[in-house]
Amino acid sequence: MTSQTAASAHLRNVNKFYGPFQALKDVSLDIPPGKVTCLIGPSGSGKSTLLRCINVLELYDSGEVRIDDQLIGYDSPGGKVMAANRLREMRREIGMVFQQFNLWPHMTALQNVAEGLERVRGLKRPEAQARAREALAKVGLADKEDNHPSHLSGGQQQRVAIARAIAMEPRIMLFDEPTSALDPELVGEVLGVMKQLAAEGMTMVVVTHEMGFAAHVADRVVFMERGEIVATGSPRDVFNNPTDPRLASFLQGYRERNSLDF
Amino acid sequence: MFSFQTIVENFPVLLGSARYTLLISVLGCIEGLILGAVICAAALSNKRWMRRIAALYVSFFRGVPLLIQLLAAYYLLPVIGINVPALAAAVLTVGLCAAAYLSEVLRGSLNAIPQGQAEAAAAIGMAPRDVWIRILLPQALKIGLPAIVNELILLVKASSLVTVVGIVEITRMSQSIAAATYRPLEIYLAAAFIYLVINLVIAQAGRMLERRLTV
Repeated sequence: MTSQTAASAHLRNVNKFYGPFQALKDVSLDIPPGKVTCLIGPSGSGKSTLLRCINVLELYDSGEVRIDDQLIGYDSPGGKVMAANRLREMRREIGMVFQQFNLWPHMTALQNVAEGLERVRGLKRPEAQARAREALAKVGLADKEDNHPSHLSGGQQQRVAIARAIAMEPRIMLFDEPTSALDPELVGEVLGVMKQLAAEGMTMVVVTHEMGFAAHVADRVVFMERGEIVATGSPRDVFNNPTDPRLASFLQGYRERNSLDF
Repeated sequence: MFSFQTIVENFPVLLGSARYTLLISVLGCIEGLILGAVICAAALSNKRWMRRIAALYVSFFRGVPLLIQLLAAYYLLPVIGINVPALAAAVLTVGLCAAAYLSEVLRGSLNAIPQGQAEAAAAIGMAPRDVWIRILLPQALKIGLPAIVNELILLVKASSLVTVVGIVEITRMSQSIAAATYRPLEIYLAAAFIYLVINLVIAQAGRMLERRLTV
């Protein structure tokens, strides 16, 4: 299903304000194709905002965001806001998975996945459903296609949400804290599906509090604080040799909260 | 003496006039729901002039008594050169009025839908029209169903006001029969019974639909 080439994403001097509050401060970041980039940092540090600027669910105020070499959000750097239909075309290539799953409750699992294929990709219903079944099978939920979201566990709901995104054959996938709303015992099944996607060479940007996942699956880890990128590097560099004091203290806090030593 | 005989004799005629009550209610309800969805979309638009129009519409049709609206449609439209049959004017006006209330019911229901629902649709590149029709409206209708059923019942009862433009529906017919038979108590009881049955059916249908939509 990931036959199309993986896309890269590039942020240049991106700024985002909410009123007087600056959520992103001159952020520049290159997301390499076919790799997993994990964004970590305290809550309110701008990780989710950065992620949502990549598919322009939040419109950044200045700077540039590109998918491969195509600017998204504006017609030209500093120019007019991009036409809605042009933005929709670009969004088809960008999959997104949300913290709260955001499945449509009035549709079955199969309908949730097939909806975009029908309405956005214009496939006929039988073909859309066939592809939706493939996507559900891929996340291990072939037998749940007739269930409504309310009749699925949190982990299953998030896997359906991943199926909904990958069925559109995106070239890059954004994950906004995909396991934060899950009971601890359900986290593993979602991370498992994400690892499988990573192994297939999908470009992935993952906002996460799962340091274990970041350590084992990420190619690169980006640490943010107060709207700025403070440190980036391989998981080894970031987790084992944190040079920045803010990063060191963030990791120290995480280890204390998750330690089994008494 | 209470005369069942009067009721039995006049019931078929009374029931026959119920078709106008039903016609006005059903058509008014369809018009009200469709137009209400449009007004609601305008009220939530990011264009200020559309929000302004929606607000004006709602305050006018909610603020002026339906009786006045009916008389205005019936007497004023011909003055400005629009000649419509009384029944068409009545259906149109009742529907316009229902749309104002229903658009507010829908607006409230839409506000209860988490923002993530529309975001998930936007993220896969769905067009606003599809987001509206496929994602938001079905959920809003479900959330608002009890309030919508309420409005429809009010609509059936409000249809009795169309007597003022000369349409002989249940209320007007019972007035005539009561006057002719000198049996107002029996006739109005019979009329009340017909209204009650219609509204019980609507309420029951609403409850069944609610159960079906609960998954």
